[in-house]
Amino acid sequence: MSLAPPLVEFHDVTVAYGRRPVLWNVDLTISEPCLFGVVGPNGAGKSTLLKAALGLVPLAGGMVRLFGQPLERVRRRVGYVPQRETVDWDFPVSVMDVVLMGTYSRVGWLRRPAAAERAVARESLARVGLEDLADRQIGRLSGGQQQRVFLARALAQQADVYFLDEPMAGVDARSQEQILAVLSGLRDAGKLVIVVHHDLRAVTDWFDAVALIDMRLVAAGPTRETLTPDNLRRTYAGAIDVLDEVGRAVQRRSRTP
Amino acid sequence: MTSAVGYLSCLAAIDLSGLLAYNTLIVAAGTAAVGCAAGVVGSLSVLRKRALVGDAAAHVTLVGVATAFALTGRRDLPTLLAGGFAAALAGLLVLVVMRRYTRTRDDAATAIVLSVGFGGGIALVAGMTARGIPGSAGLENFLLGHTAALTARDAGVLAGVSLATVVVVMLFLKEATLVAFDRSFAAAAGWPVAVVDYLLVVLVAVMVVVGLPAAGAVLVTALVVIPPVAARQWTDRLGTMLVLAGVIGLVSAVTGVAISAVVPRLATGPVIVLVAAAIFAISVLFTRWRSPREAA
Ligand SMILES: Nc1ncnc2c1ncn2[C@@H]1O[C@H](COP(=O)(O)OP(=O)(O)O)[C@@H](O)[C@H]1O
Ligand SMILES: [Mg+2]
Repeated sequence: MSLAPPLVEFHDVTVAYGRRPVLWNVDLTISEPCLFGVVGPNGAGKSTLLKAALGLVPLAGGMVRLFGQPLERVRRRVGYVPQRETVDWDFPVSVMDVVLMGTYSRVGWLRRPAAAERAVARESLARVGLEDLADRQIGRLSGGQQQRVFLARALAQQADVYFLDEPMAGVDARSQEQILAVLSGLRDAGKLVIVVHHDLRAVTDWFDAVALIDMRLVAAGPTRETLTPDNLRRTYAGAIDVLDEVGRAVQRRSRTP
Repeated sequence: MTSAVGYLSCLAAIDLSGLLAYNTLIVAAGTAAVGCAAGVVGSLSVLRKRALVGDAAAHVTLVGVATAFALTGRRDLPTLLAGGFAAALAGLLVLVVMRRYTRTRDDAATAIVLSVGFGGGIALVAGMTARGIPGSAGLENFLLGHTAALTARDAGVLAGVSLATVVVVMLFLKEATLVAFDRSFAAAAGWPVAVVDYLLVVLVAVMVVVGLPAAGAVLVTALVVIPPVAARQWTDRLGTMLVLAGVIGLVSAVTGVAISAVVPRLATGPVIVLVAAAIFAISVLFTRWRSPREAA
């Protein structure tokens, strides 16, 4: 139907920290805008997969294409929410300052965000329901609010593909619903939203497609067909603590047709 | 009792007229600019968690100052400070190389560079002083700071470099803040985070070098670190923190120069550090008392 290149392609991507490979020959293509989950046990390489797509780790092999192009050409079309551990929450910046950082790429070197960027930032904050907290220092928010600020910053990037690394870790139920609603909204607006997430239940309920990762790509495809008991067992082999959760997710799934 | 008498006689030796001498005023103005710039540059360094790297650079400057003197035989301030700056850059380069090519962690690498650079500097200075090389005794002023020997021209150079450093910080404030707050996000958005980091480290190196005459290789870090930390107590805003840190650095530096100008044989650095530390203590006490923070 369309001749447009796939939105995201990983071709035989291998990443190693030192000598130890943490991603091995991952081959994954996402062609359509959708809400896409990346699932796997701790240390499976999920964050590394996103970092490989964003050029934050060197590839030991393979290549990544976004919109059929090398990353450098299309950075402006990419949004990112890093894992929350990566920042210093005691930093003297306000919520508004953080969201404005999403507009910096468009502002460029040496210049300051102007009224247009402030308007984008305010609108992004409103979409995650935090417009009232714009002047708060970033550390004086709950975990869920902090994640929503990060999401607002990504919205302010006005991207076409979003990568989110555990945006719902340490988040209360209300914030989780709110975040999922915003992500679904992005999908409905024709964006591709790739989310690392460990709550299999939410993945089953909300996500269109998933990739199961355990250093290698175990399986990928539409959520229903991919989150099978067999695939989950292969992904979480050895991770005893999650087998229970996997079991429950599978049960739920078989009850709802 | 005798010590009290000793102290009083010491006070009697204080010559207040020295305080208002033209040269002292000029030097105080130059040092004020240094203190102010140190607070501003130091704020970004502290927020980027680079305080210890600045300390290493500061200690390494001594070997550069001594080497510049040994090689050129000149003891004018620009020559000596250029040597100090070159040594600081070399020390930072060693740090980068050790991190990348040896299995040395950051803190250990920093401690090694700091102690080796400083040890080398002390050995050089002591060696030249022991041989009675003319002018080498003055090098000891770079240990703890000694502004009384500065000329008006020196003060002008220090103020000029300080001002330039602040201008560069202001130009790249947006980029430096972004990288200091969230490096992964900055890198993913395409900002050259390594370049921004190096720029910041070089600015800190410049700052510790121009701070040498005031506070010396041992104490100049305090001028870069204490005012920002004190300022942070009062505000959650970066802009306010930069201004406050500049003011606190300025007040500390000027007070240091004034007190050491009237008390014979008192180095400037220790006074500056003590004033800054006192402001820090007051800041902590006052802000806690005003709004005790919920335990985080
Ligand atoms: N910077 C790093 N240096 C060395 N090892 C790392 C680094 N980052 C991650 N790792 C290791 O790589 C593996 C995959 O990490 P990561 O991609 O963060 O996993 P996940 O996000 O799935 O929990 C883990 O075993 C982790 O310990
Ligand atoms: Mg992770």
